[in-house]
Amino acid sequence: MEASNVPALRQQGAVTAKGHGPKSGEYLTFRLGSEEYGIDILKVQEIRSYEQPTRIANAPDFIKGVVNLRGVIVPIVDLRLKLRCPSAEYNSFTVVIVLNVKNRVVGAVVDSVSDVLELNRDQIKPAPELSAASVDTSFITGIGSVGERMLILMDIEGLMSSAEMGLMDAAIAA
Amino acid sequence: MGDMTSEGASISAGIDLSQFYQVFFEEAGENLDNMEQLLLNVNVEEADDEELNAIFRCAHSIKGGAATFGFSDVAELTHQMETLLDKLRRHELQPNSAMVDVLLQSGDALRAQLGRHQGSGADPFDTTDLLVSIKSFVEGGGAPAAAPAPKAAAAQAPKAAAPAPATPANPGARLLELQVGPLTDLTLADNLVELFKEITDLGTIEPLDAGQSSDGMRRFKVLTSSTDNDLLDLFTFHVAREQVKLIPLGPGFGFYDGAPGAPPAEAPASDPGYGFFDDAPGVPEGAAAAAPSAAPAPAAAIVPARAATPAKADKPAAGGMDQTTLRVSIEKVDQLINLVGELVITQAMLAQNSRELDPGLYQQLTSGLADLERNTRDLQESVMSIRMIPMSTVFNRFPRMLRDLAAKLGKKVELVTQGEATELDKSLVEKITDPLTHLVRNSCDHGIEMPEDRIGRGKPEQGTITLVASHQGGSIVIEVRDDGRGLNRDKLIKKAREKGIDAPDSMTDAECWNLIFAPGFSTAEQVTDVSGRGVGMDVVKKNITSLGGTVEIDSAEGYGMKVSVRLPLTLAIMDGMSVGVGDECYILPLSSVVESFQVQSDTIKTVAGSGRVVEVRDEYMPVIELERVFDVPRFDFEHVSSIMVVVEAEGGRVALLVDELLGQQQVVVKNLEANYRKVNDVSGATIMGDGRVALILDVGSLVRRSRH
Repeated sequence: MEASNVPALRQQGAVTAKGHGPKSGEYLTFRLGSEEYGIDILKVQEIRSYEQPTRIANAPDFIKGVVNLRGVIVPIVDLRLKLRCPSAEYNSFTVVIVLNVKNRVVGAVVDSVSDVLELNRDQIKPAPELSAASVDTSFITGIGSVGERMLILMDIEGLMSSAEMGLMDAAIAA
Repeated sequence: MGDMTSEGASISAGIDLSQFYQVFFEEAGENLDNMEQLLLNVNVEEADDEELNAIFRCAHSIKGGAATFGFSDVAELTHQMETLLDKLRRHELQPNSAMVDVLLQSGDALRAQLGRHQGSGADPFDTTDLLVSIKSFVEGGGAPAAAPAPKAAAAQAPKAAAPAPATPANPGARLLELQVGPLTDLTLADNLVELFKEITDLGTIEPLDAGQSSDGMRRFKVLTSSTDNDLLDLFTFHVAREQVKLIPLGPGFGFYDGAPGAPPAEAPASDPGYGFFDDAPGVPEGAAAAAPSAAPAPAAAIVPARAATPAKADKPAAGGMDQTTLRVSIEKVDQLINLVGELVITQAMLAQNSRELDPGLYQQLTSGLADLERNTRDLQESVMSIRMIPMSTVFNRFPRMLRDLAAKLGKKVELVTQGEATELDKSLVEKITDPLTHLVRNSCDHGIEMPEDRIGRGKPEQGTITLVASHQGGSIVIEVRDDGRGLNRDKLIKKAREKGIDAPDSMTDAECWNLIFAPGFSTAEQVTDVSGRGVGMDVVKKNITSLGGTVEIDSAEGYGMKVSVRLPLTLAIMDGMSVGVGDECYILPLSSVVESFQVQSDTIKTVAGSGRVVEVRDEYMPVIELERVFDVPRFDFEHVSSIMVVVEAEGGRVALLVDELLGQQQVVVKNLEANYRKVNDVSGATIMGDGRVALILDVGSLVRRSRH
C-alpha cells in the first residue's frame, strides 16, 4: 500500500461510512485455499512473510501464537483454520496480513495476497443467505464481482474483535 | 526523609513545607525566565491579550508559591506586579516601555530575593523603589518616581480590604477556586464553563490555567452566590463529584479583580511595613503567619510535591541559584526507557550470537561484549531509577486526610508510616494512590472504634493506623494496618448470604475476609459520607489487580486488620531466568527463583495418587510440570525432565519441573494484553536475543495453582 494513497482512501471511507453493508472503495484481496476474499484496505497495516510464532498454551487452534513485530507483541490468527479451509500449509508463499483493528495489531495468516482492487457499488452484491449451520456468514458483508472473479467481502474488524475469536477481552471488543 | 523509617509521624504534626522549597525555587525560576522572555517580546503598542495573560500567570504562580512558603517579600513584590499586570490585561491601562522596564527590574529583584532565600547569603534586596514605581503605574501615573507613598495611604490599606468584594455583579457573592480533576479528558471541564453560560444567575467562571494542565487538573476561578452543594450538584452532570473541589479564595489570595485582597489603587504598595504583609520583607520565619492558611496552600504544596520529590534529597545541597534538578516531561523519560529496552534486546542478541565463537580467537570481541553487557545493565538501572519515586509522595497526603477525617468522626487516630523511602515506579505510584486512600479511609471509618469503646475494651484511647512500604523480592508490599475492631466472621458470612453470595460455614478465614471484595458489599451498619456505601473494596481490588498486584487481608476480631497490597516494582524491565521445556523457552522472574537442582525421578513422590511432591531439605514441595501446564508438544518421547526450579511467591513455594536451564538475562517486559488478552499463568512476554517472543511466567499464579 502506498502512503500517497492513504488520504484519498480516507476521504472515500468517510463518504461511504454511513451506508450499511459493504462500502465501495479499495479492497485487499487474498486467497484462502480456493476462495478469494476481500477486506477493507484501511484496516491493513502491512504484509509480512510468515515466521514461526511463539505458541500460546491452551489457546484455540486458529491462534498460532505471538510474534515480535519490531518490538511489539502481535498475536497471529490463521484465517484458514478459523474459516475451516481444508488445508493450512506453511510454505514460502504463506503471508501474514498485519491488521489494525480497534487500535490493536493482529496478524492474519493467509495463503497468498493477490492485489488491491477498487470496487464500486455496482460491483458489490449482497451476501447470499446460506444456512447458518453450515457456514458462519455473519462477517461476510457482500460479494464483489470483478470480471470472472468472485470476492467474498469480509468485515475483518468485526471478525477479529468477535467474542469467539477470543483475541480481546470483552470490554475492548464492545 | 532519607532514613527508611520515621515512626510516629503523628498526624497532628503539620506538614513540613521545607521539603517542597526546592520545588518552589525551581518553578519560580522557570516562571521568572518565562516571564522575562514574554516581557521582552511584548509589543507595547499592540500588546497581545494572550501574552499579557501569560505574564500575569507567571507572576501569579510565583506569588501563590511564595505566600504558601512564607516568603513574604517575594509574595509582596509579585502581588504588586500582578496588580499592574491585571490592569494591563483588562485594558484599564495602556502598556508602555517604562512599565516593561520596571517589570523586568522586578523580575531581577525577585531572582535576587529567591537567591537569598535559597541561602546565597546576599543582603536583603531593597524593593521599595520598585514597589513605588509599580504602584504609580497602577494608579495611572506615568513617572516612576512620582509618588513616594505617604504613610496615610498605606494606613488605608487595611480598610480597603475590609469591604465586601468589589465586583458589583452579585451581592453576597463568593470567590472560589474550582479544581476539577484528575481528568482523563481535560476538555470535560469546559462543560462546566458552558454550564455557567447557560445558567445566567449562577455567577461567572474563568479558567486559571488556559485550558492545559500537566497533572490532569483544571482550575477555575468562580464568582458565585450559590452554595457549595448546589454547585457540586450542578457539576455532577459533567464530572464526578469526587473530582470537583471548591476552595474559597480568601483575602490575600484573591488576586483577581474585585477580590478583597486586591483593591487596585490602595494596595499596600508603598511601604512594606504596612498593609497585609505585616512582616518586614525578608523574614521568612515570621511570614508563615502572613501567608494565610487559605486553601490554595495545600493545593500548591501537594501538586508540585508529586512531580519532584526526588529533589528532596538534594535539598541541603542547594546553594545559590545552581540548578540541582531538571524537570523533563515523562514522555522523554519513557522514550529513553524504550530505547534502552531495545538496546538490551540488541545486546542480548549479540551475546547469544557470540557464544559460538571461539573465545581464544576472538578474545577482544568477547571482552568487548562483556563490557557492553555491564554498561548496558548500568545504563538500564540508571534510566529506570529516573522513574522511581519514593512512597513518601503517597504517604504524605495521609496525615492531613486522617486528621480531618478523625475530627469529623470524633475519633482519635495516630498515623505511623514506615519505609517511605521505598521507591516505586512513578506510574504505579500514581495508580496506587487512590486505592490506598480508600484503604486508609476505611481503616479510620470502620476499623478504629470511638474513643470510649476503645477504653472499654482496654485499648489505648488513640487508635493507630500504620502504613508500611517495603521491598520483598521483585515486588513492593504496602501494608495498611489498624488496631481497630477487625472483621467479624459471622457478620461477613451473614451479609454475604443476604447478598446471595455462596458462603459456606466451612470457609477459611482468608476466604471469608475476601468476601469484602465482592461488589456492593459493605458491613457498615450505617452508611456514612466517609465510606460504607459498599462501592469500594471491589474497586480497590480491581485497580490493584489491573496493576499486576494482589491484595491480602488478615484480621483478628477485636485486634485489628491488615491489608497487604503487593505490587511489581516496575513494569518495564526485570531479570529473568530462561528455562527450556521441549522446544520452547519460558522466562521466570529471577527474583522469585529460590534455587534449582537436578532430581532423580524416584525422589518425586505422589500424594493421593495425583498430586506430586518433591522433598527438598526436609520440606515437601508441590511439583508443577511446566510441560503439562503449557501443554508443550513433545517429539522426543524418551526425554525425562530432570531439572527442578524452586520458585517462591505469595508466601508459597513450588518446584517447577523443566528440561533445562538456558541462562539468565535481563528482559524487557512487554504486555501481552496490548494486542492480545490475558493468558493464564503468564504475566507478560519478552523478546529474546534471536528476535523470538518468550512468555514470562506468572509465578504467583503457578503457586496458587498448586494450592487448589
